[in-house]
Amino acid sequence: MATGNDHAPSPETFAALYELIGGFNKTGVTLTPETRFSEDLNFDSLVVMEFVAEVEDRFDISVPLNLLPDITTITDFAVALEKIVAAERG
Amino acid sequence: MADLLDRFAPLMSQRDAFFGDGGADPFSVRMTEILSQTEAMIGNRRTILAGTNNYLGLTFAPEALEAAHAALDAGGTGTTGSRVANGTYAGHTDLEEALKDFFGTDHAMVFSTGFLANAGILSTLMGQGDYILMDADCHASIYDGVRASAAEIIRFKHNDPADLDKRLARLANKPGNKLIVIEGIYSVLGNKARLKEIVAVKKKYENVYLLSDEAHSVGVLGKYGRGLPEQEGCEEDVDFIVGTFSKSVGTVGGFCVSNHPQFPILRLVCRPYVFTASLPPSVVASARVNLGLIKNGGALRTRLMRNAQKLHAGLTGLGLKVASDVSPVVAVVAPDPQTAVAFWRGLLEAGVYVNLMLPPATPHGYALLRASLCAAHTEEQLDEIIGVFADVATSMGLIEPQRKRAATG
Repeated sequence: MATGNDHAPSPETFAALYELIGGFNKTGVTLTPETRFSEDLNFDSLVVMEFVAEVEDRFDISVPLNLLPDITTITDFAVALEKIVAAERG
Repeated sequence: MADLLDRFAPLMSQRDAFFGDGGADPFSVRMTEILSQTEAMIGNRRTILAGTNNYLGLTFAPEALEAAHAALDAGGTGTTGSRVANGTYAGHTDLEEALKDFFGTDHAMVFSTGFLANAGILSTLMGQGDYILMDADCHASIYDGVRASAAEIIRFKHNDPADLDKRLARLANKPGNKLIVIEGIYSVLGNKARLKEIVAVKKKYENVYLLSDEAHSVGVLGKYGRGLPEQEGCEEDVDFIVGTFSKSVGTVGGFCVSNHPQFPILRLVCRPYVFTASLPPSVVASARVNLGLIKNGGALRTRLMRNAQKLHAGLTGLGLKVASDVSPVVAVVAPDPQTAVAFWRGLLEAGVYVNLMLPPATPHGYALLRASLCAAHTEEQLDEIIGVFADVATSMGLIEPQRKRAATG
């Protein structure tokens, strides 16, 4: 879950996520940092897995399954993603 | 305030959309009499069972029945205790010795179900700072097991050694052990792991272990029925084998075998082992006898594969889409879930039981009619199964009438 201590994710991260989510956005809702994967986008477990796999390919990272229960919104995902990318590149 | 179970509302409405009309559904199939390994009464209808995972048909093996009867009379209906309390009888350790002998391993541990074997081993084997790399199409028991582990869980693309390689490379400089988790035969579609290639990837890196769930391949693959590692000649490269007694072994229970020198410590820390009542003596006795029958079951395996070829060829020949290569699991892909439900009901009404499998429990979001074969299926039964598939598929307009086989009576 995003907290006040996290740095805000970069616009590039959001743009990349919006693009990847677009392919799975069956509800057609407008994507914002607050959009929720389950409630707003109706992502079920299968879609989540396919979406995560695309993110992994795009950023050349592995997203541990353990993180997923803590992710509700696109911002949550962006924060987690930037942490993983930083750790990989660091 | 929302009701306790409101979060299942989408699932409930999906269920009602498929089954709310009061027709047959998989949750209410009740077998009133088991006629043989391959036939049962469902309602008032004599039904061919083609979805039981009873690959070798050992559920009525006379030797196993006799041993089970004797153990039941001698040891009672249950142990009423866990393996670490009062639930270890001589039969349980005899069965573990039989498993060690069967697989040629130093250690064997028996669990009360296959699900618990996966849940127990996967939740305890790896700890904080370790990594589990699991095939994306692994069984629910593996998902639940790794979820209870303190390790980081990473999925790799189904049966994709290159994707596994990529992910191991990312972890190469990180401390911690890595465990690759695969299945010998994947249960839903019946396809085999690309084991040799996965072993080759494993060997490129340090501190990597391999666990294979051989639930659907023990008894089925290998000259002596030890599963895919035996068939592929790489048993020494598989560090842990998990399996079940509820498929080819014809009863219930699970196990893990390994040569890891410290394996026995798992008996103290594996909670699904420590805190579950052990298997009843009759079950243990029949499992032990059937392991021996599996080891010498070359003729059964030959019959099973011949049956698999016949059903695969028969259903493919009708023009149905079969998702797998020739294997004891033959999964027919329906165009959508609603059609799959109607197809499944049509088969059941005509006296053929298969498994109905719907997304999200299936790979690729497939809606499937999953048949599994038994060595005890006769030619006539297979002809009837193929004929019923033809009739139902034709009446639903899924295949062209001219492709329908001649009626088999």
